[in-house]
Amino acid sequence: MRLLTEAALLGLASGPACLASCGPVLAPWLVAERAGWRRALGLLSVFLGGRLAGYLLFAIAAGLLGATMPLGARARALLFAAAHLGLAATLVVYGLRPRRGRPEPPLVTIGPARRSWMPVLLGLFTGVNLCPPFVVAAVRAMETGSVAGAVLFFLAFFTGTAVWFVPFAALGALRVAETAATVARYTMLALAAYYAYLGILTLLARLLDG
Amino acid sequence: MADHVATPDSRGIGRSLLLTLPVALWALLMFSRALGVPGVAVKVAALLTLIFLVTLFFLMVRTRQTNRWRRWFFATLGFLFPIGFIWELIALRGSMSIPMEKMIAGDTPFCFMVIPMILLPAALTRTVIFPGAILPTASNPHSIAVMIGLWMAATLVLGKGWCAYGCFFGGIEEGIAAMPRKARIRKIDGRWRLVPWAVLAAIVLLSLATLAPTYCEWLCPFKTITEYAEVRSIETAIQAGIFLSLFLGLVIVLPWLTKKRTQCAFFCPFGAFQSLFNKIHIFEIRIRRDECKDCVSCQNSCPTMALSKQSVADGKTLINCMHCGACVDVCHKDAAVWHIKGTPVGAAPERARLLHLYAAWGFAIMFGGSIIAGTLTKMLGFLG
Repeated sequence: MRLLTEAALLGLASGPACLASCGPVLAPWLVAERAGWRRALGLLSVFLGGRLAGYLLFAIAAGLLGATMPLGARARALLFAAAHLGLAATLVVYGLRPRRGRPEPPLVTIGPARRSWMPVLLGLFTGVNLCPPFVVAAVRAMETGSVAGAVLFFLAFFTGTAVWFVPFAALGALRVAETAATVARYTMLALAAYYAYLGILTLLARLLDG
Repeated sequence: MADHVATPDSRGIGRSLLLTLPVALWALLMFSRALGVPGVAVKVAALLTLIFLVTLFFLMVRTRQTNRWRRWFFATLGFLFPIGFIWELIALRGSMSIPMEKMIAGDTPFCFMVIPMILLPAALTRTVIFPGAILPTASNPHSIAVMIGLWMAATLVLGKGWCAYGCFFGGIEEGIAAMPRKARIRKIDGRWRLVPWAVLAAIVLLSLATLAPTYCEWLCPFKTITEYAEVRSIETAIQAGIFLSLFLGLVIVLPWLTKKRTQCAFFCPFGAFQSLFNKIHIFEIRIRRDECKDCVSCQNSCPTMALSKQSVADGKTLINCMHCGACVDVCHKDAAVWHIKGTPVGAAPERARLLHLYAAWGFAIMFGGSIIAGTLTKMLGFLG
Protein backbone atom coordinates (compact mmCIF):
# COMPACT_ATOMS: atom_id res chain seq x y z
CA MET A 1 0.00 0.00 0.00
CA ARG A 2 2.84 2.34 0.87
CA LEU A 3 4.47 1.60 -2.49
CA LEU A 4 1.23 2.28 -4.38
CA THR A 5 0.75 5.57 -2.57
CA GLU A 6 4.32 6.46 -3.43
CA ALA A 7 3.68 5.60 -7.09
CA ALA A 8 0.49 7.64 -7.25
CA LEU A 9 2.16 10.60 -5.56
CA LEU A 10 5.13 10.30 -7.90
CA GLY A 11 2.72 10.40 -10.84
CA LEU A 12 0.84 13.34 -9.42
CA ALA A 13 4.02 15.28 -8.71
CA SER A 14 5.42 14.45 -12.13
CA GLY A 15 2.32 15.68 -13.92
CA PRO A 16 3.82 18.94 -15.22
CA ALA A 17 6.78 17.01 -16.66
CA CYS A 18 4.36 14.59 -18.33
CA LEU A 19 2.36 17.50 -19.72
CA ALA A 20 5.54 19.05 -21.07
CA SER A 21 6.42 15.89 -22.96
CA CYS A 22 2.91 14.90 -24.09
CA GLY A 23 1.23 18.32 -24.31
CA PRO A 24 2.83 19.27 -27.63
CA VAL A 25 1.31 16.16 -29.19
CA LEU A 26 -1.97 16.17 -27.36
CA ALA A 27 -2.90 19.83 -27.86
CA PRO A 28 -2.78 20.04 -31.69
CA TRP A 29 -4.30 16.59 -32.05
CA LEU A 30 -7.35 17.44 -29.96
CA VAL A 31 -7.76 20.82 -31.66
CA ALA A 32 -7.58 19.09 -35.05
CA GLU A 33 -10.30 16.68 -33.98
CA ARG A 34 -12.93 19.38 -33.27
CA ALA A 35 -14.69 16.60 -31.46
CA GLY A 36 -17.01 18.27 -28.95
CA TRP A 37 -17.04 17.48 -25.22
CA ARG A 38 -18.30 13.92 -25.27
CA ARG A 39 -16.14 12.68 -28.12
CA ALA A 40 -13.13 14.63 -26.84
CA LEU A 41 -13.40 12.85 -23.51
CA GLY A 42 -13.74 9.55 -25.39
CA LEU A 43 -10.67 10.29 -27.50
CA LEU A 44 -8.71 11.34 -24.46
CA SER A 45 -9.67 8.08 -22.77
CA VAL A 46 -8.42 6.10 -25.77
CA PHE A 47 -5.22 8.13 -25.76
CA LEU A 48 -4.75 7.49 -22.06
CA GLY A 49 -5.53 3.83 -22.70
CA GLY A 50 -2.64 3.72 -25.17
CA ARG A 51 -0.49 5.47 -22.65
CA LEU A 52 -1.45 2.96 -19.98
CA ALA A 53 -0.65 0.13 -22.39
CA GLY A 54 2.82 1.64 -22.87
CA TYR A 55 3.29 1.86 -19.11
CA LEU A 56 2.14 -1.71 -18.55
CA LEU A 57 4.35 -3.11 -21.29
CA PHE A 58 7.25 -1.35 -19.71
CA ALA A 59 6.16 -2.52 -16.27
CA ILE A 60 6.07 -6.15 -17.40
CA ALA A 61 9.54 -5.76 -18.91
CA ALA A 62 10.75 -4.07 -15.73
CA GLY A 63 9.23 -6.80 -13.59
CA LEU A 64 10.80 -9.53 -15.71
CA LEU A 65 14.22 -7.88 -15.74
CA GLY A 66 14.07 -7.25 -12.03
CA ALA A 67 16.15 -5.03 -9.86
CA THR A 68 19.32 -6.94 -10.63
CA MET A 69 19.37 -5.75 -14.21
CA PRO A 70 18.73 -2.01 -14.53
CA LEU A 71 17.97 -0.60 -17.94
CA GLY A 72 21.33 -0.10 -19.67
CA ALA A 73 22.33 2.97 -21.63
CA ARG A 74 22.15 1.13 -24.94
CA ALA A 75 18.69 -0.31 -24.32
CA ARG A 76 17.49 3.06 -23.04
CA ALA A 77 18.73 4.81 -26.17
CA LEU A 78 17.12 2.26 -28.46
CA LEU A 79 13.82 2.46 -26.62
CA PHE A 80 13.93 6.25 -26.68
CA ALA A 81 14.70 6.27 -30.42
CA ALA A 82 12.01 3.71 -31.23
CA ALA A 83 9.37 5.60 -29.24
CA HIS A 84 10.22 8.88 -30.92
CA LEU A 85 10.35 7.44 -34.41
CA GLY A 86 7.06 5.64 -33.81
CA LEU A 87 5.52 8.86 -32.54
CA ALA A 88 6.82 10.79 -35.56
CA ALA A 89 5.42 8.20 -37.97
CA THR A 90 2.02 8.28 -36.26
CA LEU A 91 1.93 12.07 -36.37
CA VAL A 92 2.83 12.10 -40.06
CA VAL A 93 0.16 9.57 -40.96
CA TYR A 94 -2.36 11.39 -38.80
CA GLY A 95 -1.49 14.78 -40.20
CA LEU A 96 -1.55 13.76 -43.84
CA ARG A 97 -4.53 11.46 -43.99
CA PRO A 98 -7.79 12.94 -45.22
CA ARG A 99 -10.30 13.67 -42.52
CA ARG A 100 -13.37 11.52 -42.52
CA GLY A 101 -16.33 13.29 -44.12
CA ARG A 102 -14.20 16.27 -45.25
CA PRO A 103 -14.27 16.59 -49.03
CA GLU A 104 -11.50 19.20 -49.26
CA PRO A 105 -8.24 17.47 -50.21
CA PRO A 106 -5.23 18.28 -48.04
CA LEU A 107 -2.00 19.51 -49.60
CA VAL A 108 -0.63 15.99 -49.42
CA THR A 109 -2.72 12.87 -48.85
CA ILE A 110 -1.75 9.36 -47.92
CA GLY A 111 -3.93 6.40 -47.09
CA PRO A 112 -7.65 6.19 -46.39
CA ALA A 113 -9.48 8.21 -43.76
CA ARG A 114 -8.06 7.80 -40.28
CA ARG A 115 -8.93 4.94 -37.97
CA SER A 116 -9.54 4.92 -34.26
CA TRP A 117 -6.31 3.14 -33.38
CA MET A 118 -4.32 6.32 -34.03
CA PRO A 119 -5.00 7.77 -30.55
CA VAL A 120 -3.85 4.46 -29.05
CA LEU A 121 -0.55 4.75 -30.89
CA LEU A 122 -0.16 8.39 -29.90
CA GLY A 123 -0.74 7.42 -26.28
CA LEU A 124 1.57 4.42 -26.50
CA PHE A 125 4.50 6.29 -27.99
CA THR A 126 4.16 9.31 -25.73
CA GLY A 127 3.72 6.95 -22.77
CA VAL A 128 7.02 5.15 -23.31
CA ASN A 129 8.94 8.38 -22.87
CA LEU A 130 12.09 8.17 -20.86
CA CYS A 131 11.59 11.44 -19.06
CA PRO A 132 13.10 11.66 -15.54
CA PRO A 133 9.87 10.77 -13.65
CA PHE A 134 9.30 7.78 -15.92
CA VAL A 135 12.84 6.54 -15.30
CA VAL A 136 12.35 6.96 -11.55
CA ALA A 137 9.10 4.98 -11.80
CA ALA A 138 10.84 2.29 -13.85
CA VAL A 139 13.64 1.90 -11.31
CA ARG A 140 11.20 1.71 -8.40
CA ALA A 141 9.04 -0.79 -10.34
CA MET A 142 12.11 -2.95 -10.95
CA GLU A 143 12.86 -2.86 -7.25
CA THR A 144 9.53 -4.52 -6.49
CA GLY A 145 11.11 -7.65 -7.92
CA SER A 146 7.93 -9.09 -9.47
CA VAL A 147 5.85 -8.51 -12.58
CA ALA A 148 2.65 -8.03 -10.57
CA GLY A 149 4.36 -5.52 -8.28
CA ALA A 150 5.78 -3.57 -11.22
CA VAL A 151 2.41 -3.54 -12.99
CA LEU A 152 0.65 -2.31 -9.87
CA PHE A 153 3.30 0.34 -9.38
CA PHE A 154 2.91 1.64 -12.94
CA LEU A 155 -0.91 1.51 -12.65
CA ALA A 156 -0.73 3.77 -9.62
CA PHE A 157 1.85 5.98 -11.31
CA PHE A 158 -0.40 6.25 -14.37
CA THR A 159 -3.40 7.22 -12.23
CA GLY A 160 -1.37 10.02 -10.70
CA THR A 161 -0.24 11.42 -14.04
CA ALA A 162 -3.62 10.92 -15.79
CA VAL A 163 -5.27 13.56 -13.57
CA TRP A 164 -3.22 16.22 -15.30
CA PHE A 165 -4.53 15.27 -18.73
CA VAL A 166 -8.23 15.73 -18.06
CA PRO A 167 -8.26 19.52 -18.73
CA PHE A 168 -6.99 18.78 -22.25
CA ALA A 169 -10.47 17.57 -23.15
CA ALA A 170 -11.46 21.24 -23.30
CA LEU A 171 -9.23 21.64 -26.36
CA GLY A 172 -11.14 18.90 -28.13
CA ALA A 173 -14.38 20.56 -27.15
CA LEU A 174 -13.40 23.79 -28.90
CA ARG A 175 -15.47 24.27 -32.03
CA VAL A 176 -12.64 25.92 -33.90
CA ALA A 177 -12.86 26.92 -37.55
CA GLU A 178 -11.82 24.45 -40.22
CA THR A 179 -8.76 26.62 -40.82
CA ALA A 180 -7.61 26.22 -37.21
CA ALA A 181 -8.07 22.46 -37.45
CA THR A 182 -5.94 22.42 -40.60
CA VAL A 183 -3.27 24.48 -38.83
CA ALA A 184 -3.34 21.97 -35.97
CA ARG A 185 -2.73 19.13 -38.42
CA TYR A 186 0.19 20.97 -39.99
CA THR A 187 1.50 21.54 -36.46
CA MET A 188 1.48 17.79 -35.95
CA LEU A 189 3.61 17.41 -39.05
CA ALA A 190 6.07 19.99 -37.77
CA LEU A 191 6.24 18.14 -34.45
CA ALA A 192 6.72 14.87 -36.32
CA ALA A 193 9.85 16.33 -37.89
CA TYR A 194 11.14 17.27 -34.45
CA TYR A 195 10.49 13.83 -32.92
CA ALA A 196 11.90 12.06 -35.97
CA TYR A 197 15.03 14.15 -35.63
CA LEU A 198 15.34 13.25 -31.94
CA GLY A 199 14.91 9.55 -32.74
CA ILE A 200 17.41 9.55 -35.59
CA LEU A 201 19.97 11.55 -33.64
CA THR A 202 19.73 9.14 -30.70
CA LEU A 203 20.15 6.16 -33.01
CA LEU A 204 23.11 7.75 -34.77
CA ALA A 205 24.75 8.61 -31.48
CA ARG A 206 24.39 4.99 -30.35
CA LEU A 207 25.76 3.66 -33.63
CA LEU A 208 28.74 6.03 -33.55
CA ASP A 209 29.46 5.11 -29.95
CA GLY A 210 29.33 1.42 -30.90
CA MET B 1 11.93 47.36 -58.88
CA ALA B 2 9.55 48.74 -61.50
CA ASP B 3 6.41 46.67 -61.13
CA HIS B 4 3.27 47.71 -62.95
CA VAL B 5 1.31 50.14 -60.81
CA ALA B 6 -1.77 52.24 -61.32
CA THR B 7 -0.92 55.92 -61.67
CA PRO B 8 -3.33 58.19 -59.86
CA ASP B 9 -3.10 61.97 -60.12
CA SER B 10 0.02 63.32 -58.53
CA ARG B 11 -0.16 65.82 -55.72
CA GLY B 12 1.32 69.30 -56.31
CA ILE B 13 4.96 69.84 -55.36
CA GLY B 14 4.22 72.61 -52.84
CA ARG B 15 1.55 70.62 -51.07
CA SER B 16 3.72 67.52 -51.12
CA LEU B 17 6.61 69.45 -49.56
CA LEU B 18 4.32 70.82 -46.89
CA LEU B 19 3.07 67.32 -46.04
CA THR B 20 6.65 66.05 -45.97
CA LEU B 21 7.79 68.77 -43.57
CA PRO B 22 6.82 66.94 -40.33
CA VAL B 23 8.71 63.85 -41.43
CA ALA B 24 11.73 65.93 -42.44
CA LEU B 25 11.74 67.58 -39.01
CA TRP B 26 11.43 64.20 -37.31
CA ALA B 27 14.32 62.86 -39.37
CA LEU B 28 16.43 65.91 -38.48
CA LEU B 29 15.68 65.32 -34.83
CA MET B 30 16.59 61.64 -35.11
CA PHE B 31 19.86 62.29 -36.92
CA SER B 32 20.80 65.54 -35.15
CA ARG B 33 23.08 63.68 -32.73
CA ALA B 34 24.93 61.92 -35.54
CA LEU B 35 25.20 65.15 -37.51
CA GLY B 36 26.75 66.83 -34.48
CA VAL B 37 29.45 64.32 -33.58
CA PRO B 38 33.00 64.62 -34.93
CA GLY B 39 33.93 62.39 -37.86
CA VAL B 40 33.13 62.83 -41.52
CA ALA B 41 31.86 59.28 -42.06
CA VAL B 42 29.18 59.59 -39.36
CA LYS B 43 27.98 62.93 -40.69
CA VAL B 44 27.92 61.84 -44.33
CA ALA B 45 26.13 58.58 -43.48
CA ALA B 46 23.52 60.38 -41.39
CA LEU B 47 22.99 63.01 -44.09
CA LEU B 48 22.68 60.42 -46.87
CA THR B 49 20.19 58.39 -44.83
CA LEU B 50 18.18 61.47 -43.95
CA ILE B 51 17.97 62.62 -47.58
CA PHE B 52 17.13 59.08 -48.73
CA LEU B 53 14.29 58.59 -46.27
CA VAL B 54 12.79 62.06 -46.59
CA THR B 55 12.93 61.85 -50.39
CA LEU B 56 11.13 58.53 -50.35
CA PHE B 57 8.44 59.96 -48.13
CA PHE B 58 8.09 62.98 -50.42
CA LEU B 59 7.65 60.62 -53.39
CA MET B 60 5.04 58.61 -51.50
CA VAL B 61 3.12 61.77 -50.79
CA ARG B 62 3.49 63.24 -54.28
CA THR B 63 2.67 60.10 -56.28
CA ARG B 64 0.08 58.82 -53.78
CA GLN B 65 1.80 55.45 -54.01
CA THR B 66 3.12 53.64 -50.98
CA ASN B 67 4.68 50.28 -51.73
CA ARG B 68 6.50 51.49 -54.83
CA TRP B 69 8.78 53.71 -52.69
CA ARG B 70 8.60 51.84 -49.40
CA ARG B 71 10.27 48.87 -51.08
CA TRP B 72 13.42 50.89 -51.77
CA PHE B 73 13.78 51.68 -48.09
CA PHE B 74 12.95 48.16 -47.02
CA ALA B 75 15.28 46.41 -49.44
CA THR B 76 18.08 48.84 -48.50
CA LEU B 77 17.48 48.04 -44.84
CA GLY B 78 17.42 44.32 -45.60
CA PHE B 79 20.74 44.35 -47.42
CA LEU B 80 22.56 46.75 -45.11
CA PHE B 81 21.47 45.18 -41.81
CA PRO B 82 23.45 41.94 -42.16
CA ILE B 83 26.52 43.85 -43.33
CA GLY B 84 26.44 46.08 -40.26
CA PHE B 85 25.56 43.27 -37.89
CA ILE B 86 28.25 40.90 -39.12
CA TRP B 87 30.72 43.79 -39.09
CA GLU B 88 29.88 44.37 -35.43
CA LEU B 89 30.18 40.67 -34.56
CA ILE B 90 33.55 40.37 -36.23
CA ALA B 91 34.76 43.50 -34.43
CA LEU B 92 33.50 42.20 -31.07
CA ARG B 93 34.39 38.50 -31.28
CA GLY B 94 36.29 37.99 -34.51
CA SER B 95 33.68 35.51 -35.76
CA MET B 96 30.02 35.18 -36.66
CA SER B 97 29.64 32.10 -34.48
CA ILE B 98 28.86 32.53 -30.82
CA PRO B 99 30.82 30.29 -28.45
CA MET B 100 29.03 28.43 -25.66
CA GLU B 101 30.83 30.42 -22.96
CA LYS B 102 29.46 33.66 -24.43
CA MET B 103 25.94 32.22 -24.37
CA ILE B 104 26.33 31.18 -20.77
CA ALA B 105 27.58 34.68 -19.96
CA GLY B 106 24.36 36.08 -21.48
CA ASP B 107 26.12 37.73 -24.40
CA THR B 108 23.72 36.56 -27.13
CA PRO B 109 22.01 39.53 -28.80
CA PHE B 110 18.25 39.27 -28.32
CA CYS B 111 16.18 39.02 -31.47
CA PHE B 112 12.48 39.83 -31.69
CA MET B 113 11.84 36.42 -33.30
CA VAL B 114 12.25 34.88 -29.84
CA ILE B 115 9.36 36.80 -28.27
CA PRO B 116 6.52 34.29 -28.95
CA MET B 117 8.64 31.48 -27.51
CA ILE B 118 9.55 33.14 -24.23
CA LEU B 119 6.09 34.32 -23.19
CA LEU B 120 4.56 31.07 -21.85
CA PRO B 121 7.72 29.79 -20.15
CA ALA B 122 8.19 33.24 -18.58
CA ALA B 123 4.60 33.23 -17.31
CA LEU B 124 4.84 29.70 -15.90
CA THR B 125 8.41 29.54 -14.63
CA ARG B 126 9.39 33.22 -14.25
CA THR B 127 12.41 32.45 -16.39
CA VAL B 128 13.45 33.96 -19.72
CA ILE B 129 14.54 31.00 -21.83
CA PHE B 130 17.12 32.91 -23.84
CA PRO B 131 20.88 33.18 -23.21
CA GLY B 132 20.86 36.97 -23.27
CA ALA B 133 21.02 39.83 -20.80
CA ILE B 134 17.89 41.53 -19.46
CA LEU B 135 19.53 44.96 -19.46
CA PRO B 136 22.11 46.25 -21.96
CA THR B 137 25.76 45.61 -21.22
CA ALA B 138 28.93 46.84 -22.89
CA SER B 139 29.40 43.52 -24.66
CA ASN B 140 25.72 43.04 -25.49
CA PRO B 141 23.75 46.21 -26.20
CA HIS B 142 20.90 44.22 -27.83
CA SER B 143 19.40 43.22 -24.51
CA ILE B 144 16.07 41.53 -23.87
CA ALA B 145 14.39 44.54 -22.22
CA VAL B 146 15.49 46.95 -24.96
CA MET B 147 14.31 44.73 -27.80
CA ILE B 148 10.97 43.89 -26.17
CA GLY B 149 10.36 47.58 -25.45
CA LEU B 150 11.14 48.45 -29.04
CA TRP B 151 8.91 45.68 -30.32
CA MET B 152 6.00 46.76 -28.10
CA ALA B 153 6.28 50.34 -29.31
CA ALA B 154 6.47 49.20 -32.92
CA THR B 155 3.52 46.86 -32.50
CA LEU B 156 1.34 49.60 -31.03
CA VAL B 157 2.19 51.88 -33.94
CA LEU B 158 2.34 49.38 -36.79
CA GLY B 159 0.56 46.13 -35.90
CA LYS B 160 1.57 43.63 -38.52
CA GLY B 161 3.08 46.60 -40.37
CA TRP B 162 6.24 45.65 -38.47
CA CYS B 163 6.83 43.18 -41.27
CA ALA B 164 6.76 45.97 -43.87
CA TYR B 165 8.59 48.76 -42.05
CA GLY B 166 10.63 47.20 -39.27
CA CYS B 167 11.73 43.64 -39.98
CA PHE B 168 15.15 43.90 -41.60
CA PHE B 169 15.01 40.18 -42.41
CA GLY B 170 11.93 40.70 -44.60
CA GLY B 171 13.81 43.40 -46.47
CA ILE B 172 16.20 40.85 -47.91
CA GLU B 173 13.38 38.82 -49.38
CA GLU B 174 11.65 41.93 -50.62
CA GLY B 175 14.80 42.95 -52.46
CA ILE B 176 15.28 39.51 -53.99
CA ALA B 177 11.61 39.24 -54.98
CA ALA B 178 11.76 42.60 -56.72
CA MET B 179 14.67 41.62 -58.98
CA PRO B 180 13.18 39.30 -61.64
CA ARG B 181 10.75 40.81 -64.12
CA LYS B 182 8.26 37.95 -63.91
CA ALA B 183 7.43 35.19 -61.49
CA ARG B 184 8.40 31.70 -62.64
CA ILE B 185 6.02 30.07 -60.18
CA ARG B 186 2.61 31.69 -60.19
CA LYS B 187 0.17 29.10 -58.92
CA ILE B 188 0.59 28.69 -55.18
CA ASP B 189 -1.95 26.84 -53.07
CA GLY B 190 -3.43 29.30 -50.59
CA ARG B 191 -3.19 26.80 -47.77
CA TRP B 192 0.57 27.29 -47.61
CA ARG B 193 -0.22 30.52 -45.80
CA LEU B 194 -1.39 28.40 -42.86
CA VAL B 195 2.09 26.94 -42.38
CA PRO B 196 3.49 29.90 -40.35
CA TRP B 197 0.68 29.37 -37.85
CA ALA B 198 1.61 25.70 -37.57
CA VAL B 199 5.29 26.58 -37.13
CA LEU B 200 4.28 29.12 -34.49
CA ALA B 201 2.16 26.56 -32.62
CA ALA B 202 4.91 23.94 -32.84
CA ILE B 203 7.70 26.19 -31.57
CA VAL B 204 5.58 27.63 -28.77
CA LEU B 205 4.66 24.12 -27.59
CA LEU B 206 8.17 22.76 -27.95
CA SER B 207 9.72 25.79 -26.25
CA LEU B 208 7.37 25.25 -23.35
CA ALA B 209 8.22 21.55 -23.25
CA THR B 210 11.97 21.91 -23.58
CA LEU B 211 12.39 25.36 -21.98
CA ALA B 212 14.64 26.36 -24.86
CA PRO B 213 14.04 28.72 -27.81
CA THR B 214 13.42 25.95 -30.34
CA TYR B 215 13.13 28.20 -33.38
CA CYS B 216 16.50 29.84 -32.74
CA GLU B 217 18.13 26.48 -32.16
CA TRP B 218 16.74 24.73 -35.18
CA LEU B 219 14.79 26.72 -37.70
CA CYS B 220 15.81 30.36 -38.07
CA PRO B 221 16.98 30.95 -41.65
CA PHE B 222 18.52 34.26 -40.64
CA LYS B 223 21.11 32.64 -38.42
CA THR B 224 22.97 32.29 -41.70
CA ILE B 225 23.53 36.04 -41.90
CA THR B 226 23.56 36.97 -38.23
CA GLU B 227 25.11 34.59 -35.72
CA TYR B 228 24.87 30.92 -34.89
CA ALA B 229 26.10 28.51 -32.25
CA GLU B 230 29.72 27.56 -32.82
CA VAL B 231 29.90 24.32 -34.84
CA ARG B 232 31.51 21.86 -32.46
CA SER B 233 29.40 18.71 -32.81
CA ILE B 234 27.21 16.78 -35.22
CA GLU B 235 24.20 18.49 -33.71
CA THR B 236 25.49 22.03 -34.26
CA ALA B 237 26.61 21.04 -37.77
CA ILE B 238 23.07 19.81 -38.53
CA GLN B 239 21.68 23.05 -37.12
CA ALA B 240 23.98 25.12 -39.32
CA GLY B 241 22.96 23.01 -42.33
CA ILE B 242 19.27 23.60 -41.61
CA PHE B 243 19.81 27.36 -41.23
CA LEU B 244 21.67 27.58 -44.53
CA SER B 245 19.17 25.41 -46.43
CA LEU B 246 16.20 27.40 -45.16
CA PHE B 247 17.92 30.68 -45.97
CA LEU B 248 18.84 29.67 -49.50
CA GLY B 249 15.45 28.11 -50.17
CA LEU B 250 13.05 30.52 -48.53
CA VAL B 251 14.93 33.82 -48.68
CA ILE B 252 16.82 33.58 -51.98
CA VAL B 253 15.52 30.97 -54.41
CA LEU B 254 11.77 30.96 -53.79
CA PRO B 255 11.36 34.77 -53.62
CA TRP B 256 13.21 34.92 -56.95
CA LEU B 257 10.93 32.28 -58.50
CA THR B 258 7.64 33.50 -57.07
CA LYS B 259 8.20 37.25 -56.59
CA LYS B 260 6.67 36.73 -53.13
CA ARG B 261 8.16 37.04 -49.68
CA THR B 262 8.06 33.28 -49.26
CA GLN B 263 9.76 33.04 -45.87
CA CYS B 264 7.36 35.65 -44.47
CA ALA B 265 4.29 34.21 -46.17
CA PHE B 266 4.86 30.49 -45.74
CA PHE B 267 7.18 29.99 -42.79
CA CYS B 268 7.84 32.87 -40.39
CA PRO B 269 6.22 32.15 -37.01
CA PHE B 270 6.89 35.67 -35.78
CA GLY B 271 4.91 37.05 -38.72
CA ALA B 272 1.99 34.84 -37.73
CA PHE B 273 2.29 36.01 -34.14
CA GLN B 274 2.47 39.64 -35.25
CA SER B 275 -0.68 39.15 -37.37
CA LEU B 276 -2.65 38.80 -34.14
CA PHE B 277 -1.95 42.47 -33.42
CA ASN B 278 -3.76 43.51 -36.59
CA LYS B 279 -6.89 42.98 -34.53
CA ILE B 280 -6.02 45.96 -32.34
CA HIS B 281 -4.38 48.07 -35.06
CA ILE B 282 -6.54 50.95 -36.24
CA PHE B 283 -5.39 51.02 -39.86
CA GLU B 284 -6.36 48.43 -42.41
CA ILE B 285 -6.91 47.96 -46.12
CA ARG B 286 -10.40 47.33 -47.39
CA ILE B 287 -11.82 46.45 -50.79
CA ARG B 288 -14.80 48.50 -51.96
CA ARG B 289 -17.05 45.89 -53.49
CA ASP B 290 -19.01 48.44 -55.50
CA GLU B 291 -15.81 49.49 -57.32
CA CYS B 292 -14.06 46.12 -57.55
CA LYS B 293 -14.02 44.40 -60.96
CA ASP B 294 -12.46 41.19 -59.63
CA CYS B 295 -9.40 41.63 -61.81
CA VAL B 296 -7.29 39.88 -59.11
CA SER B 297 -4.45 42.41 -59.55
CA CYS B 298 -4.50 42.99 -55.81
CA GLN B 299 -4.21 39.28 -55.07
CA ASN B 300 -1.35 38.87 -57.52
CA SER B 301 0.51 41.89 -56.18
CA CYS B 302 0.40 40.92 -52.51
CA PRO B 303 3.87 39.76 -51.44
CA THR B 304 2.51 37.64 -48.58
CA MET B 305 -0.71 36.35 -50.19
CA ALA B 306 -2.83 38.27 -47.70
CA LEU B 307 -5.74 38.49 -50.14
CA SER B 308 -7.83 35.56 -51.28
CA LYS B 309 -10.82 35.32 -53.58
CA GLN B 310 -13.05 35.00 -50.54
CA SER B 311 -11.47 37.86 -48.63
CA VAL B 312 -11.81 40.16 -51.65
CA ALA B 313 -15.45 39.12 -51.94
CA ASP B 314 -15.81 40.05 -48.27
CA GLY B 315 -14.12 43.40 -48.91
CA LYS B 316 -11.22 42.67 -46.55
CA THR B 317 -7.66 41.48 -46.45
CA LEU B 318 -6.67 38.40 -44.48
CA ILE B 319 -5.28 38.70 -40.97
CA ASN B 320 -1.69 38.45 -42.26
CA CYS B 321 -1.89 41.77 -44.18
CA MET B 322 1.24 43.79 -43.39
CA HIS B 323 -0.08 47.10 -44.76
CA CYS B 324 2.61 47.46 -47.39
CA GLY B 325 0.11 49.07 -49.75
CA ALA B 326 0.99 46.95 -52.81
CA CYS B 327 -2.66 46.12 -53.51
CA VAL B 328 -3.71 49.77 -53.25
CA ASP B 329 -0.90 50.81 -55.59
CA VAL B 330 -1.93 48.38 -58.35
CA CYS B 331 -5.70 48.82 -58.15
CA HIS B 332 -6.83 50.72 -61.23
CA LYS B 333 -10.35 51.20 -59.93
CA ASP B 334 -9.40 52.56 -56.52
CA ALA B 335 -11.32 49.69 -55.02
CA ALA B 336 -8.50 48.76 -52.62
CA VAL B 337 -8.32 51.60 -50.11
CA TRP B 338 -6.67 52.52 -46.83
CA HIS B 339 -9.14 52.66 -44.00
CA ILE B 340 -9.32 53.65 -40.36
CA LYS B 341 -11.43 51.24 -38.33
CA GLY B 342 -14.68 52.74 -37.14
CA THR B 343 -15.02 55.11 -40.10
CA PRO B 344 -17.02 54.51 -43.29
CA VAL B 345 -15.04 52.53 -45.90
CA GLY B 346 -13.79 54.79 -48.68
CA ALA B 347 -14.70 58.00 -46.84
CA ALA B 348 -11.17 59.48 -46.81
CA PRO B 349 -8.74 56.77 -47.94
CA GLU B 350 -5.87 59.13 -48.75
CA ARG B 351 -6.12 60.72 -45.32
CA ALA B 352 -6.03 57.24 -43.77
CA ARG B 353 -2.99 56.36 -45.87
CA LEU B 354 -1.14 59.51 -44.83
CA LEU B 355 -1.94 59.04 -41.15
CA HIS B 356 -0.67 55.47 -41.35
CA LEU B 357 2.41 56.61 -43.21
CA TYR B 358 3.30 59.29 -40.67
CA ALA B 359 3.29 56.65 -37.94
CA ALA B 360 5.02 53.98 -40.00
CA TRP B 361 7.63 56.25 -41.53
CA GLY B 362 8.33 57.85 -38.18
CA PHE B 363 9.20 54.42 -36.87
CA ALA B 364 11.10 53.53 -40.04
CA ILE B 365 13.31 56.60 -39.66
CA MET B 366 13.98 55.91 -36.02
CA PHE B 367 14.64 52.17 -36.27
CA GLY B 368 15.56 51.32 -39.86
CA GLY B 369 17.18 54.70 -40.42
CA SER B 370 19.59 54.20 -37.54
CA ILE B 371 20.53 50.76 -38.89
CA ILE B 372 21.10 52.13 -42.40
CA ALA B 373 23.11 55.08 -41.11
CA GLY B 374 25.13 52.87 -38.78
CA THR B 375 26.13 50.49 -41.56
CA LEU B 376 26.90 53.33 -43.95
CA THR B 377 29.14 54.87 -41.30
CA LYS B 378 31.09 51.62 -40.99
CA MET B 379 31.40 51.30 -44.78
CA LEU B 380 32.43 54.93 -45.30
CA GLY B 381 34.88 54.68 -42.41
CA PHE B 382 36.37 51.56 -43.97
CA LEU B 383 36.74 53.30 -47.32
CA GLY B 384 38.55 56.11 -45.51
